[in-house]
Amino acid sequence: MTVPLDSQTGHAGAYARELVASYRSIPGVFDEMVDEAGRLRDHWRPLVDALARLGPGAVEKRFALADQHLASSGAFYRVYDDADRRERPYLLSHVPLVLSASDWATITAGLEQRATILEALLSDAYGPRDLVASRSLPAAMLAGSPEYLRPLVGINPLNGRHLSFYAADIGRAPDGRWWVLRDRTQAPSGSGYALQNRIAMSHALGEITEACAVEPLVGYFDDIRATLSRYRTSGDAGVAILTPGSLNETYFEHIYLSRQLGFRLVEGQDLVVENKRLWLRTVGGLRPINVLLRRIDSDFADPVELNTGSRLGIPGLIDALRAGTVTIANALGSGLAEAAAFMSFMPALATRQRGEELLLPNVATWWCGQPAEREFVLDNLDRLNIASAFAPAAPDAFDYATAKNTAPKSNDARIDQQRTSLRHAISRRGIDYVAHERVQLSTMPIWSGSKFEARPFVLRVYLAQTNDGWHAMPGGLALVGDARDTGALTMQRGAHAADVWVTAGSTRTPADAFASKPPEMGEIRRSSGSLPSRAADCLFWLARYLERAEGTVRIIRALANRAAEALPSTRPERAALMELLFQWGAIPDPQSPPRAIALALTDPASPGSVSSLVSSALASGQVIRNRFPIDAWRALQETDIILRTGADEALPDGGLERAVDTTLRNLAAIAGLQLESMNRLSGWRFMKLGGRIERAILVSRLARSLALAARSNGCLDALLELNDCQITYRMRYAHGAVLKPVFDLVLLDESNPRSLAFSIERIEHHLDSLVSAGDIAPHESPRDAQRELAEAFRAVERDDVGPDQLIAIENRLMRLSDEITAHYFDLSGAPRDGAR
Amino acid sequence: MIVRYLIRQTSSYAYEGSVPFARHLLRMLPADRRLQKVIRSELSISPEPSELVSETDFFGNKVAHVVVREPHHVLVVEQTSEVELIDREPTVPSTTPSVATIRAMATSSARIDGKGPAHHLYPSRIVRLVFAATDYAATSCPDDRPILEAAIDLARRIHDDFAYDPIATDVSTPIEEVLENRRGVCQDFAHVMIAGLRGLGLPAAYVSGYLRTEPPIGEARLVGADAMHAWVAVWCGEGVGWRGVDPTNAIVTLRDHVEVAFGRDYADVSPLDGIILSSGRQSLSVAVDVAPLE
Repeated sequence: MTVPLDSQTGHAGAYARELVASYRSIPGVFDEMVDEAGRLRDHWRPLVDALARLGPGAVEKRFALADQHLASSGAFYRVYDDADRRERPYLLSHVPLVLSASDWATITAGLEQRATILEALLSDAYGPRDLVASRSLPAAMLAGSPEYLRPLVGINPLNGRHLSFYAADIGRAPDGRWWVLRDRTQAPSGSGYALQNRIAMSHALGEITEACAVEPLVGYFDDIRATLSRYRTSGDAGVAILTPGSLNETYFEHIYLSRQLGFRLVEGQDLVVENKRLWLRTVGGLRPINVLLRRIDSDFADPVELNTGSRLGIPGLIDALRAGTVTIANALGSGLAEAAAFMSFMPALATRQRGEELLLPNVATWWCGQPAEREFVLDNLDRLNIASAFAPAAPDAFDYATAKNTAPKSNDARIDQQRTSLRHAISRRGIDYVAHERVQLSTMPIWSGSKFEARPFVLRVYLAQTNDGWHAMPGGLALVGDARDTGALTMQRGAHAADVWVTAGSTRTPADAFASKPPEMGEIRRSSGSLPSRAADCLFWLARYLERAEGTVRIIRALANRAAEALPSTRPERAALMELLFQWGAIPDPQSPPRAIALALTDPASPGSVSSLVSSALASGQVIRNRFPIDAWRALQETDIILRTGADEALPDGGLERAVDTTLRNLAAIAGLQLESMNRLSGWRFMKLGGRIERAILVSRLARSLALAARSNGCLDALLELNDCQITYRMRYAHGAVLKPVFDLVLLDESNPRSLAFSIERIEHHLDSLVSAGDIAPHESPRDAQRELAEAFRAVERDDVGPDQLIAIENRLMRLSDEITAHYFDLSGAPRDGAR
Repeated sequence: MIVRYLIRQTSSYAYEGSVPFARHLLRMLPADRRLQKVIRSELSISPEPSELVSETDFFGNKVAHVVVREPHHVLVVEQTSEVELIDREPTVPSTTPSVATIRAMATSSARIDGKGPAHHLYPSRIVRLVFAATDYAATSCPDDRPILEAAIDLARRIHDDFAYDPIATDVSTPIEEVLENRRGVCQDFAHVMIAGLRGLGLPAAYVSGYLRTEPPIGEARLVGADAMHAWVAVWCGEGVGWRGVDPTNAIVTLRDHVEVAFGRDYADVSPLDGIILSSGRQSLSVAVDVAPLE
């Protein structure tokens, strides 16, 4: 296992020896890096040596690179129960867990066997239920899980399996054996984070991962893509990832998987069941979906037959399953196998189903629904962990010995009382409880300043069903505890996650892994398929909100410029600008300028304030975050934070100005990124349509308020300023602002990208492009609305510009928006075009 | 004596806005049971559904999957059925197994179909196990008391202690609140009783159905006869099976109760589930007539 360190020489050798010598493992606990004598284990040597060669300062810098990569990729983890819907950055523990080839072989063989047993358990529970009939499994154990979904009984999965994915949390006992602590069969999460970790670590320690011959992870995702694609029953049907949406804790991972696998990320409202088949609502009509990678809990999947309160599901989905037209991976109801109660039956199930022993034992478990087990547990209450038999979430363990040891003496009576009531509850309803043997987790190093420290961890390993059986992802997530406490660790509780390195020699060499993974087919695609209606809707509105926010900030700046001077001569335009802010809902009522400026910028209660508009843009953007340039997203988030903190504490002197400038700059950056970083596909066009419609409405309204209603030269100047064309005007005309030339530049000049003419021309262009590319169904009424708009604009060009003509144009713009919404976005109506 | 009933129910779901599309799951038709035979039954739905599939669910109930594509402001569901109740001697409560025996039998039963006791032992979507309910039920259920005797006593206490009050609760009122205020309707009483029995480790199920509208001459009209009713089925061991106990009327079900659906709680038997695409409020009116046939 270990070799002496005398082969090391020089500073690096000394530092490596110091790293190992200063490492304090916990007596009586297995440590991954060093043996009981404190000697470095062989398979850790390449890593430790490589880190030592870098030297303490460089190691820190390398680890910072990994963090930087995670931050810039936008990795986040959503914290539940947070009123502010905050995201917290995802926390990486920098030292990877290194696993030897032989450990990995033991783990994967054990988990493959376990996955096979759980699959058989599920297929029996939702099929013949022979295990119960033959008294191998108590009926009350099957019936106790809230994840035993009765409407699914008797429905065979189309792909022939309940589990396409399986994950297990495992830990290592003091004797060096691995134990299964929990099974994850509902919708195992975290493999995307594991890949993300690996990429971050490669950024930081690229040459070291190579030197250590670490097994690559990408092959696993290629296998998943290939397997799910094979479940399709027809070539033109799609595979989609079903997410509960942007409020889910692991939404980042859903986006990430969608990018990695190349499958569309959808929510329940994107899908509809028609004629017992599943369809995606897109701007081009209904498109068939054959396979769902499910990331929502089963119970929420169909509000007609399962949880009727669910807003995340697809009404009629079970009807489609019954008709055998869709594969869901994992199948609905697969969460059943997560019940802790089943752990007590795993050894017997292994024997019954396969005539084998469990290759990897699970933590010893007693289900208190059986008389003998219940008596045993009651007699040994103080040395067992009591947990919920069926609760899907991490159960609250009642651990009396620890409670007694850690609580102050004065709490003894209370603890005794709790113990008595638990004893009573187990006697009455033992079916609700299991007892687990106490587990002592092994430890691995974390990096602390310039040295290692030992921390307990749980290893989560991922398996996927492929064409030739179960395949484990060669790696995983090591959830590392913050303290030396060996209790249950979850990401919600703030554990860090470390990358897991399986050293080569176990399954295949890294070179092979790369060589064996050419792209599936050489097929070239220029489009990623039809745009889901909801995504189009969100892109359209995101653009409208952004445009409106920009328009409002420009008014605020124009008002601020004039308020500073407070000359009597600028009174008409100040009044006009204030009136605009009021009409647009940016301020609750006309105010003194400084107050109005602060409110219009930051007031969360005014729907038209810049802060509210940016929040709305963010809310729309959440849904299509995977289609939006990451840098644009971060600029939007930053703007949101600046404006919201402005509302909390009044901005200091000069703060308003800075907030205005930053907001305008960020909005410009977002607009630029849309132009430079987004492909000219239908999503981009819907964004541009939304932006152009909004801008045209704003320009028309500005023209009416500043040129037609309030006729002062200052107001015309303000109109030029808001339209960003003062310089052009001065270059063209020697005289000051005069109505006709101003109108020509602001409304009619097609070379001015902020003119009405320009927007109206672009609207026609984008609609034409969408139709001619075949991206959208060629409905007549949106085209009619667009033609009427063009006609109304020609009337303005021909005749004089008056308020009525402008109002007519604004009405037609709004009608066009409504028609686009009704024909391409509307999710509330019945499925529009019948299924083919 | 064989009793035969003609049952007619009209349910009208009125919506404020027009409903362009609806997908429903209906549980309105009675099914054959051990002591109940359905002679004929039919469902008529307006507007005409574009899809209608009838099936039997996990618990043995008749369900209809319905899709309505015709825009509508009102959905009317009419059911007509003729049901025969097979005569039998009432079970003598004192002969049923003890509470302690039932508790042990329930966890060791190998029956896993919908009528198996195991499904009805645990908290369900609506019936959570509330300490106050368990505590309330415990008084009626000492370990050595025959189960049916205990259940009847519990039903009688609920009947005496709780006021029938249709205004006090709605479908979403939690059990704790019903226990606290001691008021409610048949659904609340059934849920309280089920929660109490399950809390003690005893299987209890929820039954929806009908009561005879007009009582036989000389008897009082039963409470709940003008709408669909609900009561509790108590598991009395492998031999006896399920027995109906009606806490709203403090009686054992025999000749006046016609069963429509059986499940773990109201969520399993709700007459109409589903989704409609509509905004605005909706209201329901129901007319029921259950008349004996000569």
